[in-house]
Amino acid sequence: MDFEAVTQKIREIAKRLLSEGQVDAVLGYREGTVPMRERPFFAYTPEEAEQLVWTPFCCNNLANFLIRKPKGEIGKWGIVAQGCVTRNLVGLIQENQLKREELFIIGVPSPGMVDRRKVLDKFPGKTISQVLVEGEELVIKGPGLDERLDMKTVKRDNCYTCIQRNPVIVDEMACDKAENDSMGGDIDKMAAPWESLDPDQRWQAFYDNFKDCIRCYACRDACPLCYCHVCFVDESQPQWCGKTQDFADVATFHLLRAFHCAGRCTDCGACESACPVGIKMRRLTSKIEKDIRQMYGYRPGLEIEATPPMSVYKPNDPEDFIK
Amino acid sequence: MFARRRFAVLKNLLEYIGLEPGRLHFSWISSAEAEKFQRTAQEVVEAVRKLGPAKRLIKDIRKVA
Amino acid sequence: MADKILAKDKLPEFLAQLEKEHRVYAPQLQGDDYRWAPLEQAGDVVWDFSNTRLSPKEFFFPQTECMMRFVNDPADPEGMIMKPEEPLDEKRVLMNIRPCDAKAFGVLDLIFCQDDYTDDPYWRDKREKTLLVALACNDPCPQCFCTSVGCGPHSEAGSDLLLVDLGDKLLVKVTSERGAAFAEGLEEAGEDDQKKAAELKKAAEDKLAQNLTVGTDKIAQKEVLELFDDPMWDRVWESCLNCGTCTFCCPTCHCFDIQDETQGKEGRRVRNWDWCMHWLFTRHGSGHNPRGTSKERVRQRFMHKFKYIPLKRGGEIGCVGCGRCVVLCPVNIDVREVVNQMNA
Repeated sequence: MDFEAVTQKIREIAKRLLSEGQVDAVLGYREGTVPMRERPFFAYTPEEAEQLVWTPFCCNNLANFLIRKPKGEIGKWGIVAQGCVTRNLVGLIQENQLKREELFIIGVPSPGMVDRRKVLDKFPGKTISQVLVEGEELVIKGPGLDERLDMKTVKRDNCYTCIQRNPVIVDEMACDKAENDSMGGDIDKMAAPWESLDPDQRWQAFYDNFKDCIRCYACRDACPLCYCHVCFVDESQPQWCGKTQDFADVATFHLLRAFHCAGRCTDCGACESACPVGIKMRRLTSKIEKDIRQMYGYRPGLEIEATPPMSVYKPNDPEDFIK
Repeated sequence: MFARRRFAVLKNLLEYIGLEPGRLHFSWISSAEAEKFQRTAQEVVEAVRKLGPAKRLIKDIRKVA
Repeated sequence: MADKILAKDKLPEFLAQLEKEHRVYAPQLQGDDYRWAPLEQAGDVVWDFSNTRLSPKEFFFPQTECMMRFVNDPADPEGMIMKPEEPLDEKRVLMNIRPCDAKAFGVLDLIFCQDDYTDDPYWRDKREKTLLVALACNDPCPQCFCTSVGCGPHSEAGSDLLLVDLGDKLLVKVTSERGAAFAEGLEEAGEDDQKKAAELKKAAEDKLAQNLTVGTDKIAQKEVLELFDDPMWDRVWESCLNCGTCTFCCPTCHCFDIQDETQGKEGRRVRNWDWCMHWLFTRHGSGHNPRGTSKERVRQRFMHKFKYIPLKRGGEIGCVGCGRCVVLCPVNIDVREVVNQMNA
């Protein structure tokens, strides 16, 4: 992908939309102050739209910011969206949180975003002060560090198994669609890695995965599906989930949050990108996604008219587990 | 009926993270099926008793720091 | 006491002396990050790390801390009595804590132990039982801005001993009375050693000057309401997720939420870290929330750290410039940019 060209096109579209008054704001990214992280940005004027960028470090899910409705006065949003983000927009429209008319979607096919932790892992203990994109390579610079990495080797886990790179709904593309919607990874092989383990091993894997959690809720707050007025962890009458660091409390939070995303999660990876301690909570959601797909034949966010799987039932739904 | 889908997903999730098979049971019982209710309750208690005290996903505030 | 020298190959003896009465903890590489862990042997000490991912404040302020226990039964002879938890049963050394983190605990002392009525015994107990052996920064990382907030790469505030890495040996500065006892047996440092340490300090400070620096002088002069009502806040809060990442990784953030948990007749009173970005943080039992919008909460955090704490604690800033929040914020809200806007 020619990131520079896409950046220029996004800026051009955004400036046009804003100066013509077609939208009240354009939600995109601008350059971050730390390596490998761009930051969500709200451009309200054509001048501000000059700051918009598109790079392989755009690791948030911008649909998340629409559900917060930061300004009630915003009538229409422009939003820079790749495949998974548009799937979330479809989901939010299905759930009556957004209206299609409120959105002007500037579509981009996803290049697969870089997982900054994978890059950091290649240089343990070293300080990285700058990461540049050159073609298909990353140039990593720091004190005593001047290396190149093939971007393909350091993408986010979810990006390898992406099934929808191109936007599902779009108003104007910022570049040509990708030839393939799929990134090529085998989701069935990668999803639910603990299925091959016995219960004791599974519990150990689950514990090891989540034991570092600090209950910051960055995963929940970065997720476009988590828009409940009062999240279940914040309820106190009754308190469903303890607030302590006891593993039972930590596990309850993650299990239930994954469960609440059943049939809705588009595997955008914003949760894992947001986590400050590198927890792989997609181990849970990928299992649920696989079950939903295999039991009910549903993939979230591909069609606005589809009915989400958890709000219907079919007479022949699997029930061999019920005596 | 909607619960059926939820329970299917939930059971798979809990067993996926290591809850021992045999801890979680489901059964269709109507309020008119008292005998089935009694029988199922006994079966579940026996099955779970065989597995021993639950240790996973349990929080005992007397034991934690 | 004069500065001393500790050769690195003499480190085992030095640690053995500490270990007579203390458990020693130090930053160690685990996975892709440095974390605080018990030090098993002298060879595990690392000299060239930047900093640990999360601050060591858990040593004094655990994320979950049981404060007292009770039995909710009037018939029980032990019932209806709140029993405090046991104090810490070991003395500890935090080896190679960075000067910013060491200073942070000095700042928190001003908050946890203010006067007769505000003296947190849980905090105080742990602080009194912990020795801080700081390691000066010779190679600050790109996100640090300690010199902008009254700290520095070789700052002596808050530590008991400050070590400066001179290569094959360490300059040992005695920075508290407690530290003096452990430096007594060491050789005195020569002029060359002192000179080298001063050069390293200057080099580190020069490097920091090249980072994005932060101005705080005008903030001190502005009125509270002038800062509070500034239109800059209308833009700062927009991308904030209201998660607890910045608060939890910060060495000076200290808010907590107290809850009682019961199980049958037994119960405990526990405190957990809380975060002011959360909507529940200021929600009253009545349902009213004085900081019901994200903008108010985001503004609060910066105002608290950079205006209210200095006002109430004699000019001490509620931030030591460690840079963790800059690195970890999921949406890259950069405290340095925000403070510079406050200082405009």
